[in-house]
Amino acid sequence: MMKKSALHSRRWRWLLSIFLALHGATSFAEPAPALPLAGGLPVVVRTGLRFDQIDSIDENERSCTATVDLRLRWRDARLAYPKEDGALFQNFKDAAAEARMATMWVPRVELANTIGSPTFRTFSLRIYPDGQVELMQRTSSKFATSFDPQRFPFDQQKLAAEVVVRGDDQDRVALDYHQDDLDFSASGSDRKLDRWALGLTNIRREPLSGLYDTLHSRLWIELQIRRQFTMAMAPIFIPLFASLLIPLMAVYMNRVEDGEFQIDAFELCNIVIGGLFAVIALNFTVNSAYPMLGDADNTVTRLFGLNYLALGAALAIIIALFRFNLVQRALGKYVQEQLYLSIVWAAPLLVLGTAIALLLVAMA
Amino acid sequence: MNVTFRRGAPTALICIVVVVVVTLAFLSNRLFHNLTNAVEQNQFDLMRTILRSSLRAAEDRAMARAEMVANLPTVRDLFAKRDRERLLAECGPMFEIQKSKYGVDQMQFHLPNAVSFLRLHAPPQHSDDLTKFRPLVVAVNTDRVARKGLVVARTGPAIFGVVPMVDLAGGHAGSLDVGMDFNPILDGLKATYQLELALFIAEEPLRRFATGLPGEVLTEENRRGKFIKFHSTHWTLMKDLATEADVINVTEEGYTRKLRGITYGALILPLRDPNGEQLGLLVVAKDFSASRAASGRSLVWQSLLALFAIVTLAVAVIVVIRGLLLRPVQMITERFRSLAEGDRTKPIEQPETLCQEMRELAGTYEQLRGSDEEKE
Repeated sequence: MMKKSALHSRRWRWLLSIFLALHGATSFAEPAPALPLAGGLPVVVRTGLRFDQIDSIDENERSCTATVDLRLRWRDARLAYPKEDGALFQNFKDAAAEARMATMWVPRVELANTIGSPTFRTFSLRIYPDGQVELMQRTSSKFATSFDPQRFPFDQQKLAAEVVVRGDDQDRVALDYHQDDLDFSASGSDRKLDRWALGLTNIRREPLSGLYDTLHSRLWIELQIRRQFTMAMAPIFIPLFASLLIPLMAVYMNRVEDGEFQIDAFELCNIVIGGLFAVIALNFTVNSAYPMLGDADNTVTRLFGLNYLALGAALAIIIALFRFNLVQRALGKYVQEQLYLSIVWAAPLLVLGTAIALLLVAMA
Repeated sequence: MNVTFRRGAPTALICIVVVVVVTLAFLSNRLFHNLTNAVEQNQFDLMRTILRSSLRAAEDRAMARAEMVANLPTVRDLFAKRDRERLLAECGPMFEIQKSKYGVDQMQFHLPNAVSFLRLHAPPQHSDDLTKFRPLVVAVNTDRVARKGLVVARTGPAIFGVVPMVDLAGGHAGSLDVGMDFNPILDGLKATYQLELALFIAEEPLRRFATGLPGEVLTEENRRGKFIKFHSTHWTLMKDLATEADVINVTEEGYTRKLRGITYGALILPLRDPNGEQLGLLVVAKDFSASRAASGRSLVWQSLLALFAIVTLAVAVIVVIRGLLLRPVQMITERFRSLAEGDRTKPIEQPETLCQEMRELAGTYEQLRGSDEEKE
């Protein structure tokens, strides 16, 4: 029994040693090039990113499809070589660049906010005689972008690319930028974007939390874009303002003679109910076409709120004044008459004032 | 007087309401506006403090490095022996590390007569007289007291710390300066405080002294009046925030400007050399759009509330004056007129809905109408 157990144990030890040997062999077969430590830690990687082409913006999906050029520059003294006449640098492209990169240290930098796989990616690598390395990476992909519709249609958004260092924390590899990186990021003045005006490019540092309270270097390269609001006015705001007239018309349609209302409340109530369905339909249409507008507080949702409020107020007036004459019963028909005549001018003024205020707040 | 009570009384009351509400709204808005201004002023003060303390810290760093190097025995000995080659070999690698990692831009040894002995940042250039454009070096070698400040040197402006050097026997051997590069300081301020900055240096000293400057600095595009933009953290933005007019009429109060839909607060800080002469300007800007948007929104909401108040009070005035007083008076007057014309068939309907005073008048009418009927 003992013998059998010892044999079993020896076999396991033998298998374990083979596994460890194999693991060791695979682990150390191609050692990853070490960090260039000649300049000390952290290794500073100068970063710039240019939105070369912006194909489309999908606000509902909160994404944009674009081609970006990521430029990374760092110094690796181990790659320095004697300067030859004629060539300023060694140049590698595509497969040659990837092959060269496999043999040298390259920062593990990725575009963290891409959605899905890039549709296109290519590399260009330059190594200068003094060991300066410049890696350009062109990527066509969909990028996750946060849209804040609160100030719609007078909003400004930021198309952003999130550049993050993976693996090494910011004490080992740090992304940085100077004015020339910003200039590179802002270049491409011929870029155009349908329904948006392009603004300034900025770069923001914001470390990313890692395991065990480590921080990884991260840069946000942001391109400001401003909505051309005239394009959004016609399909959304004209119906919204027009629907505000429905409850006002329902109140205005009545007539008062010697303190007595002349139109049946039922007919006016029908107008309001019709208006309610019209606003619900408009709300449904807008939410279907622009789901992002339905998700958050913004000018459109506030105007819808005003529409519902105006319809509710009109219904209350019709029931209280036209149907049950509550004011007449309490204070007399002349008070009710004057109240109605005041409502006829005050209600449009307040509704219009509120609607304009909502637009102005978005513009502020 | 042709004004009727029907029109005059409501108009007068509504005018009073409008004046009172608009005044209150205006005062309320001014209060909020002052609050916003105070917040922005605090921001300006903070920006000013950050800049000044950062420049002071840079001066201290320059001075600390200079003191440290100047007191190394080997360095003192080699400098005293005027052994340029060995001094370069001793300090060169140290300077390269300082330059690449810690923002040290220049390091130079000077002889007691303010002649350059060794520039670690440009070793081939030496033995030139510095008395004309480096008064700090002259002063340190004259009174042998360390000094610090902004100076335009051969390779451009930098924040210098200059210390006297003594040989191993204690005799004055010359001086050493360390110049901190402005660029990392400004870039660091942007990274930490989200400030945008631009450094302008007066063109005249730049052309006269900074002969080692790269050509792209002294260009038309960089010129703002008598100043040249030397460095900026975001020139596309800053060139609109620091126009020629701004740098000519410098006020330390700060100003705001709206660019591409965003309001920025900008502040210009004059930079002076140790003698008090203005050498340049540091322009700093910050996004003020949050406070401005809050102020704008407040104005809109307060105006809307004022409109609601005016309309509500106007409706109340009209309904009370016309509904409770004028319309019943008009109705009773018509009844009396009919009665005077002999028509007694029109009673006052629902007199209980009239106010007490009107009800008495209506009662009088009914008495008259009834007594006339009895007479007949």
